[in-house]
Amino acid sequence: MSNETAAITRHRAFSVARVFAITTNTLTELTRLKVFYVLLIFALLLIGSSIFMARLTFQQEFQILKDVSLGAMSIFTSLLAIVATARLIPQDLEDRTVYTILAKPVPRFEYIVGKLTGVLLLLAISTLVMSAMFLAVLYIREQAVLHETLRQMSAAPREQIDDALRAVRSSALNIDIFPGIVIIYLKACLLAALTLFVSTFATTNIFTIVVMVFIYFIGHLQATAREYWLQEHSTGWITHSFLALVALIFPDLQTFNLVDDIVVGAAIPLGLFAKTAVLGIFYTTIYTLLATFVFYGKEL
Amino acid sequence: MTDAAVAVRGLTKVFPVPFHRQWSRRKPRDIDGQPEGVTSREASYQSVVAVRDLDLRIEPGEVYGLLGPNGSGKSTTLKIILGLVSPTRGQTEIFGRDSSLVESREAVGFLPENPYFYKYLTGEETLRFFGKLCGLSGARLRERADQLLELVGLTNARDRRLSTYSKGMLQRIGLAQALIHEPKLLVLDEPTAGVDPAGSRDIRNLIVDLKRRGITVLLSSHLLAQAQEICDRVGILADGVLVCEGRLEELIAIENQTELVLENASDALVDQIKTLATSSNAKLIARRRSTTTLERLFLDATSEGSNK
Amino acid sequence: MMRFAYHAAALRRSVLVLAMVLAFGVMKLPGERALFVQHRQLHFRGVEFNLDLREQLGQLGFIAALSGFRSIVADVLFIQAHVAWERTEWSRVLLLFRQVTTLQPRAILFWDMAAWHMAWNASVAAMNDRTQPRLALRVKAQREYFALGKDFLERGIKNNPEKPQLYETLARLYKEKYKDHASASEFFAKAAALPGAPGYEKRFAAYELSYCEGREREAYQRLRQLYDAGENERLPTLITRLKFLEQKLNIAQDQRIPDEGR
Repeated sequence: MSNETAAITRHRAFSVARVFAITTNTLTELTRLKVFYVLLIFALLLIGSSIFMARLTFQQEFQILKDVSLGAMSIFTSLLAIVATARLIPQDLEDRTVYTILAKPVPRFEYIVGKLTGVLLLLAISTLVMSAMFLAVLYIREQAVLHETLRQMSAAPREQIDDALRAVRSSALNIDIFPGIVIIYLKACLLAALTLFVSTFATTNIFTIVVMVFIYFIGHLQATAREYWLQEHSTGWITHSFLALVALIFPDLQTFNLVDDIVVGAAIPLGLFAKTAVLGIFYTTIYTLLATFVFYGKEL
Repeated sequence: MTDAAVAVRGLTKVFPVPFHRQWSRRKPRDIDGQPEGVTSREASYQSVVAVRDLDLRIEPGEVYGLLGPNGSGKSTTLKIILGLVSPTRGQTEIFGRDSSLVESREAVGFLPENPYFYKYLTGEETLRFFGKLCGLSGARLRERADQLLELVGLTNARDRRLSTYSKGMLQRIGLAQALIHEPKLLVLDEPTAGVDPAGSRDIRNLIVDLKRRGITVLLSSHLLAQAQEICDRVGILADGVLVCEGRLEELIAIENQTELVLENASDALVDQIKTLATSSNAKLIARRRSTTTLERLFLDATSEGSNK
Repeated sequence: MMRFAYHAAALRRSVLVLAMVLAFGVMKLPGERALFVQHRQLHFRGVEFNLDLREQLGQLGFIAALSGFRSIVADVLFIQAHVAWERTEWSRVLLLFRQVTTLQPRAILFWDMAAWHMAWNASVAAMNDRTQPRLALRVKAQREYFALGKDFLERGIKNNPEKPQLYETLARLYKEKYKDHASASEFFAKAAALPGAPGYEKRFAAYELSYCEGREREAYQRLRQLYDAGENERLPTLITRLKFLEQKLNIAQDQRIPDEGR
């Protein structure tokens, strides 16, 4: 008897295999969501439709293509992060699948992390698919414009042709777009973790989604509130404490909108990118820990 | 002394009543003003006492039935034993390990009431998923899944999605996932609820089979006839209090009565027995034609044409 | 909120969670502010405190613009401006471009287009305006459009001081519309000094200078320097301007560039 007990006491406090099992299962669950495909197809259509926008000059065309594509990616990933995460835990509670999982030797922390990682993987896949679509459209348009330019300038001197081609290439793809996409992804990760946190104390999906939509908008205005709070001291104490509350509770989502400036050719210093990424990961971690804390106290 | 399979000591669970429901429920059925043994601080909010001061001890190898009407605290007790719900006071242990510790769950398999699993997984995938959660992998996991599918009779349905499973099949796959890591204790919440008689019989046979293999079973049920067939010991809960407990045959035996079942007995023989009984100060109090149970009749009738 | 269980333990836990959220809020502030300051230095997020924009777009549009829809809102307005241009509704073009550039102050293209529409298109239209019979008023209107174009470019440069394109457009505006060769030369030179500027900026700065009364000597030196830099710079205009200055400054014959003897 005692021997047997000894054999099963070797329990690992954290097991990647268990988290991975929950992650892959969550990913399977999420890829069965119709809303995922609806959103993804919508985003792809939006990106793809830019290919027909040939009425403008090539600079305008490329700019709008980039704006629309990256805007669509940003909104789609954010929306997907919220919608997909909101139902994750409530659904398991409602279906009582959570009982069978947590009745196994699975710490609740692993359950939360596994679920979240599933969403983050889904977001990564969507981001990759959309990026591929976007780059393909951009490449096709760039080649078309290059051909057209060559045809029009066939008689011009070599130097001028090179200048013109360089102008086309530089307005098509700037390398800063890639860190921009990474930041879009991290913003979605942050929103997913925050949604998970909200969903641990909300009881309905709708409640979570509504709260998250509020957080999304207020989060974009958080910087404004924060700077007023820290710089203006002429406001009354009610306004002052209200601004403080907004600044402390909400994340600064505007920080992650680097892509708005990147599409127009602004260069992103490596340091800035790194700091933004670290902030994004920091937010995601904290919200995951908070979600775990609330979930530990939850009566199932 | 070996550790009990399950030990529950002084367990009390008070559920808070959500604020909005306190207003809508005028006269709550099971809300006490000031529950006994509950501190005034706990009682200052309206609350439901689901389990009160419960002591249980289940020995390794026995089949224990926790009986009681709906809402008597059976499920709550099981959930506390499994660490899904935290007790307000008291302690629960599984083979000597506190239920609040994750590792206590290594020794236990659980089948919740009306379980829903992930509908998009097949039977085999379900077992593999839960096996991985228990730290199984590779050939060991495959072998274990095969064995259990065989055991619960779902080998033919292993590649079907759970969305196509019947209630009885879901219950059996649930039993299989509970057994995936070879637990020494099996906790079953209403294992036969909502399952047709044939399915229910299969599950009871499985439980008896598991007991033979030395697995301790703790089950809750409100179907007393079924519990009677398989349980060694039962405890009866009413409003969160254990009102009666003991070995089944002791609890239901009528001390001063004996039953005889005769085949081909003539009326004359019965009269003779009656006279014999009277002469030795005994009394024949009932004489009736033996019947089969309706369940037996149903099982025989349905198993004839189809091989289930 | 009403879904919270109002039980002592649950309440205590909720308060604890709120405290943790606030503590985390304090922890994150320095990081957020550091990034914010850096964004400001890089001229990002130029729109957040712009009260004008809030009035122009309305509260809802403003919030939408700030909520990750900024570049898309700017594009929509830009396309509207394009349509307004096709219908020659100049005041609408002006209004829309003000919004577009406020939303996307880092987009060179938008500033450039805005200035071009004002100083080159609207100004010509104003000059040819048949509904205005008095020439003096037409000229006045034309000058106003020049000024609007110049204003767009100056604000664009303020937001994008490191990009050569807007300096170049401003130089062209001075050259073609104001005939102010000194200013044109100055801005061509500024463009030339920035990284990524095309090679011609430097030449253009020197050409413009060669038209300035009293600065011929300086212009001559710059042109000569370019001429000496190599074959690539010896374009027809450069040679013409250089010969013109050699004549005007009476440069000694032996120091002049050779006639067609390249």
